[in-house]
Amino acid sequence: MRDWSRHVFIWPATLVVLLVTLFPLVYTLDLSFQNSRLVPPLPPKYIGFGNYIKLFGQERFWSVIGNTSIFVFVSVTLQYVLGFAIALALHSRVAGERLYRITFLLPMLMTPIAVALLWKTMFNQQFGPLNQVFTFFGYANPPFLTENIWSYGSLITVEVWQWTPFVILMMLAGLQSLPTDIFEAARLENASSLQMFLGITFPMLLPLSAAVIFIRVVEAFKIIDTVYIMTGGGPGIATETLTLFAYQEGLKKFNLGYTSAISFLFLIFIIIFGLIYMVILKPQIEKRR
Amino acid sequence: MKKMFAGFLASAAAAILTSGIAAAQCKPQSGMPDYTGVTVNVGSQVGPFIASAMKQGGDSWSKATCGKVQIVEFPFGELYPKYLTAFAAGEDAFDVITFAPAWTPDLAPYLSEMPSKMRETDAWQDIHPTYRDRLMVWEGKHKSQTIDGDLHTLHYRIDLFEDPEERAAFKAKYGRDLVVPRTWDEYYEVAEFFHRPNDGIYGVTEAFARGGQQFWFYFTHAASYTNHPANPGSMFFDPDTMDAQVNNPGWVKALEDYIKSLKLAPPGALNYSSGDTRQQFAGGKTSMNFDWGDTGTVGTDPSQSQIPGSVGSDLTPGSTTIWNYKTKKWDEFSRVIHSPFMAFGGWQAAVPELSEDKEAAWHYVEHTTNIENSSIQAITGGSGVNPYRYSHFSKDLWEKKMSPREANEYLTAQRDSLGATNVALDMRLPGYFSYTEILEIELTRALAGELSAQEALDSVASQWNELTDEFGRDSQKAAYRASMGL
Repeated sequence: MRDWSRHVFIWPATLVVLLVTLFPLVYTLDLSFQNSRLVPPLPPKYIGFGNYIKLFGQERFWSVIGNTSIFVFVSVTLQYVLGFAIALALHSRVAGERLYRITFLLPMLMTPIAVALLWKTMFNQQFGPLNQVFTFFGYANPPFLTENIWSYGSLITVEVWQWTPFVILMMLAGLQSLPTDIFEAARLENASSLQMFLGITFPMLLPLSAAVIFIRVVEAFKIIDTVYIMTGGGPGIATETLTLFAYQEGLKKFNLGYTSAISFLFLIFIIIFGLIYMVILKPQIEKRR
Repeated sequence: MKKMFAGFLASAAAAILTSGIAAAQCKPQSGMPDYTGVTVNVGSQVGPFIASAMKQGGDSWSKATCGKVQIVEFPFGELYPKYLTAFAAGEDAFDVITFAPAWTPDLAPYLSEMPSKMRETDAWQDIHPTYRDRLMVWEGKHKSQTIDGDLHTLHYRIDLFEDPEERAAFKAKYGRDLVVPRTWDEYYEVAEFFHRPNDGIYGVTEAFARGGQQFWFYFTHAASYTNHPANPGSMFFDPDTMDAQVNNPGWVKALEDYIKSLKLAPPGALNYSSGDTRQQFAGGKTSMNFDWGDTGTVGTDPSQSQIPGSVGSDLTPGSTTIWNYKTKKWDEFSRVIHSPFMAFGGWQAAVPELSEDKEAAWHYVEHTTNIENSSIQAITGGSGVNPYRYSHFSKDLWEKKMSPREANEYLTAQRDSLGATNVALDMRLPGYFSYTEILEIELTRALAGELSAQEALDSVASQWNELTDEFGRDSQKAAYRASMGL
């Protein structure tokens, strides 16, 4: 006899999940094929792939894709390298390790808006403490937030400052879970620290590294608060990211159809990126298992 | 533990009883309605500017009517989306909203009409007609109440301009007396003269930040070269065809000037909003700025300023040549034509249709903006309220806060700007943010040196025309003409 009771428990939950995930997704997809604006209010009209074609033909869209990709690539690379290095240092029980561990994790616990406001003050071209440092070295009033490259560098600095602790936390947990006997055997074979890192630590932490990088990449692609507060996407649109662009279109101009198309392209982009990432890494990870 | 708990209960009960008695004891002042139990939710930008004025009016209204006022504050950039998303979702989130007149076309469908009895009082007649009959009206209906009079005026440092050594040095260099600039050319001469970065003083300061009221500063420059007295309402668009005028030679010259201002401003000025400019001026860092009247109230307030007693005011500079879009030529004038720009046009308050307490909400608006309350707000530095009533121009009121000379110059500049024959009105159009966002992006590119002034403005014009077509050229033209009083 089949047990029908399990359906009573499964279906309500399944329906809720469908309602809160699938429905908005389908609704957004439907909206992306319409010319729908709240301001000025225009009657919604199906225009097929019109929004997508307009997006692909827009210089601003490609600029935003480029900005976001460079931002993500540079900041996540730095976060991973620095985070892994600091985790290794903490794992080797340096003096005051507990204090460092707490201090390093603090930035991650702050809200991005507060962090952005804090750093905006730090980067103030006239009164900020960083200006004092640069002035001391003979380079007064650096254009931290007003010139393209500097603005980029400032945003990446803040992102790295805030999110490297996440990498430290994850990699440190990974390091602490590694079996000690392998390292002892390597030491008996007179393996150097570098050899042990390249031959044991790094390969064994590769699956964790892949997961950490993937999480950070997806999160970094969604950045909006820091950019909104610090540069507003400027100068011009030099630091405008994909989510900020979608925000401007959706919640400033209320161009809903167009914004839905941006959101969907963003989703497709992340899925494709994830697939490529996994295709490249999977053989490496399986080889190490 | 039990004793502590009992004690806590007793204190809580006493507190509730006391507040209940206090509420029960509240009696409306004579002649005022009783709004006991009514809470009016007011949307405002983050204080102190405007929010503090709405609170001052709210405290006074609460005493008079026993109603309550709750001010809900949002950053300036978030106000418009907050209001529109609430209205579009049919939420009764606000009983009163405060907003820019430029947003009126987008918000008007959701706003209630002002009760006619509000328009039958002496206080109504006291409001300057530019606000009362133009900016408070949309499609023939009074949909809002001005709570702040806004236009740009020039501010200069009296102590610098009247320093005998500075005057002599200026005369030796430029062959003329150091006086308050009447034209933009003179403005840049004076700015250049006082621009001494090594001494920590800079020529001018204006707002240049995207999202920091930037484009209103640029519009003030542009008004001088494009607001032709013979072609009213043609500054932004050709009122007959709705073709964008933003890339004509007048606008290009204005942008070249605006870029020049950046070079004579303090470091980091590219990130300045209007609030930063008035802080720089009040901090004694620049010889001049032009801004809303807040620079006057902040700069003369000893608690907020390094230069109280030295804040001079005048009309923003004008021009002897203005671009004629019809003949496509520069017209020469024998005298300087001032085109004071009604930048922003002053904050407005309105009551959404969705409010469940419209009567109380309009009463609160009327009370907050009455002669007595608005006068207090107008002379309070940091309230964000500038004169908009005839009664606000009384010298007695201002001499409580400023020196007689400062008060005289401040009021004269405000009154003469408002009454100028060639006063330039701000743009009010459906889809306002879509237009200004395009402008802001290209302006910032030009300021950063990525594009020339002409390239940036050609791009703006082309995008504005596309937008107008998308929104409907005829309906946009009708809205634009109505907003310009044509």
